[in-house]
Amino acid sequence: MSATWRSVFTYNKYAQITARAVRNSLKETERVAAEKRGLTTVRYQHWENGVGGQQTVLNPELEKAPGKPAV
Amino acid sequence: MATLRELELRLKSVKNIEKITKSMKMIASTKLAKAQRAMQSGKEYGLANSEIFQHTIAEEKDASKKKLVIVVSSDKGLCGGIHSSVSKFTRRALGQTGGEEPTIDPESPIAVIGDKSKAQIQRVLSKNLTLTFNQIGRDVPTFADAASVADLIQKSDVKYDSIVLVHNKFVSAISYEPTSVEVPNEAQLKESAGFRSYEMEDDVTKDLAEFVLANAIYSALAEAHACEISARRNAMDNASKNAGDMIGALTMQYNRGRQAAITNELVDIITGASAL
Repeated sequence: MSATWRSVFTYNKYAQITARAVRNSLKETERVAAEKRGLTTVRYQHWENGVGGQQTVLNPELEKAPGKPAV
Repeated sequence: MATLRELELRLKSVKNIEKITKSMKMIASTKLAKAQRAMQSGKEYGLANSEIFQHTIAEEKDASKKKLVIVVSSDKGLCGGIHSSVSKFTRRALGQTGGEEPTIDPESPIAVIGDKSKAQIQRVLSKNLTLTFNQIGRDVPTFADAASVADLIQKSDVKYDSIVLVHNKFVSAISYEPTSVEVPNEAQLKESAGFRSYEMEDDVTKDLAEFVLANAIYSALAEAHACEISARRNAMDNASKNAGDMIGALTMQYNRGRQAAITNELVDIITGASAL
């Protein structure tokens, strides 16, 4: 019997979900350090024939408009 | 010979620029240590990948295979030739720089990570662009970034037999060079001699193909990040040196001008006094 999650999402998403569960179960100090390793603010854009589509954010709940640091 | 006022203004602005580039160099130097440590541990993921490929993939240089090119760079500038080196490598591989045979099919789809390279590739190869990502590379890249990129690539309907990852290799703290890494997809893994002799399950092969892609992307991201920071440090170092030279030359000019003005005034006074 193969797992049913394979039809819904990829292995990478599965690994990210399990990693998030592990991180949330850590002790407070370790959890704060580990949270940073699970952060991603990637935005992507599909392109068709040289024209870019809409820029979409992958994790909208993380967009809290922090100040932009200097390089 | 500019007036004294103009020289003074120019001197002030160059001094400000020197302060800025010096502080950017300091920031880059402090970030470099952390980035290099992350790169060392990130490279292990890439090495795990190459272990697998060594034992499974046969050497088939088939130029008719469909390849997806992923260009790894970042959004920020002021880092020397980082973005243009990967863009040039890609263009050369696709045969866009005149006079060389393309090693990859010129119709191959391209995915770009990073706004700067996206702009450069868009100018020449905009028909090949399929997917672009940004907001990666502000801080040390995480595996979550790489997993998201791999996920999005797999979810989009880009067809490919293997993936070519173009990124900058960290040669030393003062030099880097663009390289490419090839990552096979699920079908290729299934047909390889190693997998067939072990009767791998399809599910597991599919998982492995996805994970292997995320691994390769993570290793490339970590290395590219370290290259970018070291390049920025070197670029800002050179800029500060140049600014320092300019300040020296301008100060000389300014002082000479100032002394000439004083001498002229003295001459006027003396001739005026002697005329009395």
